Amino acid sequence: MSLIEMRDIKKDYLMGETSVHALRGVDLSIDKGEFIAIWGPSGSGKTTLLNLIGAIDEPSSGQLFVEGQEVVQLSDNMRAELRNRAIGFIFQGFNLIPVLSALENVMLPLQIKGTSSSEARDNALSRLDEVGLSAFVHHRPDKLSGGQQQRVAIARALVTEPFLVIADEPTANLDSDTSRKIIGIMRDLNERKKTTFIFSTHDQRLLDKVERLIRLEDGKIVDGGGKK
Amino acid sequence: MNKWIKIALRNILKNRRRSFVTLLAIAMGFAAVSLFQGYIHNTYQGLRQSAIRGEALGHLTIYKKGWIEKGKIDPDRYMFSQKEIQQIIDIVEGDDDVILATPQIHISGLVSNGHISTIFLAKGVKPNDDKTIKGAWAAFRPVKGDALSKKKPYGVEMAEDLAQHLNLKPGTDGVVMSTTLDGQMNALDIEVAGTYNTGSDATNDKYMRFPFAYAQSLYDTKKADRLVVLLDSWEKTERTYNRLLSTLSKAGFQCEIKTWNELSLFYSKVKGMFDMIFMFIFSIVFIIVVMSVVNTMGMAVLERTREIGTLRAFGLKRRGVSLLFAIEGTLLGFLGSILGLVLNIAVWAVIRALEPSYIPPGVSTPVPLIVNLVPQAMLTLMVFLILLSLVAAILPARRAARLNVVDALGHV
Repeated sequence: MSLIEMRDIKKDYLMGETSVHALRGVDLSIDKGEFIAIWGPSGSGKTTLLNLIGAIDEPSSGQLFVEGQEVVQLSDNMRAELRNRAIGFIFQGFNLIPVLSALENVMLPLQIKGTSSSEARDNALSRLDEVGLSAFVHHRPDKLSGGQQQRVAIARALVTEPFLVIADEPTANLDSDTSRKIIGIMRDLNERKKTTFIFSTHDQRLLDKVERLIRLEDGKIVDGGGKK
Repeated sequence: MNKWIKIALRNILKNRRRSFVTLLAIAMGFAAVSLFQGYIHNTYQGLRQSAIRGEALGHLTIYKKGWIEKGKIDPDRYMFSQKEIQQIIDIVEGDDDVILATPQIHISGLVSNGHISTIFLAKGVKPNDDKTIKGAWAAFRPVKGDALSKKKPYGVEMAEDLAQHLNLKPGTDGVVMSTTLDGQMNALDIEVAGTYNTGSDATNDKYMRFPFAYAQSLYDTKKADRLVVLLDSWEKTERTYNRLLSTLSKAGFQCEIKTWNELSLFYSKVKGMFDMIFMFIFSIVFIIVVMSVVNTMGMAVLERTREIGTLRAFGLKRRGVSLLFAIEGTLLGFLGSILGLVLNIAVWAVIRALEPSYIPPGVSTPVPLIVNLVPQAMLTLMVFLILLSLVAAILPARRAARLNVVDALGHV
């Protein structure tokens, strides 16, 4: 059974009185442990596709299965539980909670889950150590560099040990050196822990590292299935 | 739960200026309401004592059924006979909460110094019982000269303005005239034993106090028109009222009982006015607190839309988002109330130190401005403001919870 299964997924948005077809019938299957990049021109539907896979959006039509569960059938609360348990997010703008320290930000998904504070703290410290931020655990986001913030975001995405991490342009706001380090961390975690990574990017250095490329154009996969 | 309180508290501290303005609005509201509540609490306390002790209304007054409605037309019919007085006193004083029951007769007529005459209103009281009812209050409005005494059955107490008007001083004589219950003119010599200040401009030129038997003799009767009952605590008024009404009824006495607050028109009117002013102030505070919290939380939701999207993406449920903002609103109410409490105590201390006084309308002597600290009322107000802040935060909190995750994440 595939980890993600999409069948004829369509997604339309209403912008004013105009209907925009963001996805026009996508079929996609993703297995556990894959390291996948979704690329294509702006407006091709990359973010929409990631949002659907991440269960934070619903398709207009078609079927989407995550771990065999049809996402549309799930209630809002069940989708929240699915995201908390099985999916990690890395955002282009890092999206750290500004009033929380690096450690508290990483602890947050576990605390949402209901894990005890001490256990959440131990796990978060361990994740921060993995991304090389042991010395910065008590720093608030505004005291961290862009690269450090993104590493906190990676630690936060992985702290619940999800089977899937979704990253929307994770290196877009970072310099080359930092981007390379971030890509290295993600690839390493994918190889060691078999965590599935799906991300959208325009970054050629990131595209060079992936084993599977999915190219989107005008809301359709034009080159997607084949492995690199 | 602690983590959400921590996040809420840090967000409050993060927006210092906005939070401070909101906290100040809540604090000022709390202090304004609480100080006014403290002031009227003291005023009610004073007026209550003034009515029960000063006006010597006691806590309960027992009339024969029909007296209040028809007593003026046919007083003799609706007055208590000597026998009835004693029987009722025995029943009432048998109650554990009753200190004493004493008969009174209210009279009116003309009082003269031999040259000029003017109207008077007086109550005939048993001197010792009157002294018991007044208690410590007697020292607050002392009688100049001698008080009523059994030893001087014709000695009366006269209100100061009336005595001044008639140029009568303690120890001088006068004459009182009235019609008896049978309709005959009657006159008696009096001696002004002492003078006193009633505390009210409206009564200080009319009131007198007679020994009970002497007042009876002016009306040529052995009857009393009421029995005044003193309890060991004003808080037992309602309970004792119900109990005595039932006991007297079972004993075959058809009576009407009035409580001290029903009889003290001044207390009722002042209370009505202060209650209205309190509601007015409270309504303003209510609106300010709700508007402040709604505005602050609305701004917080707007500013933290992406944060809400992020939390939702990581699995926080809608009710979790609502809870987060509800906690923040509640904390604003709590911290604002604490600040208000400090402000309240500071102003209270200043008032205590300065001891200002003022002359209220219709009152003949200055009264000190005293504000009580009423812990129970303060606690109630605090809980109310916290709940109000919570309710005010619910609207923006619900809006935050309903946000679409994708829209929230895309919010700039």
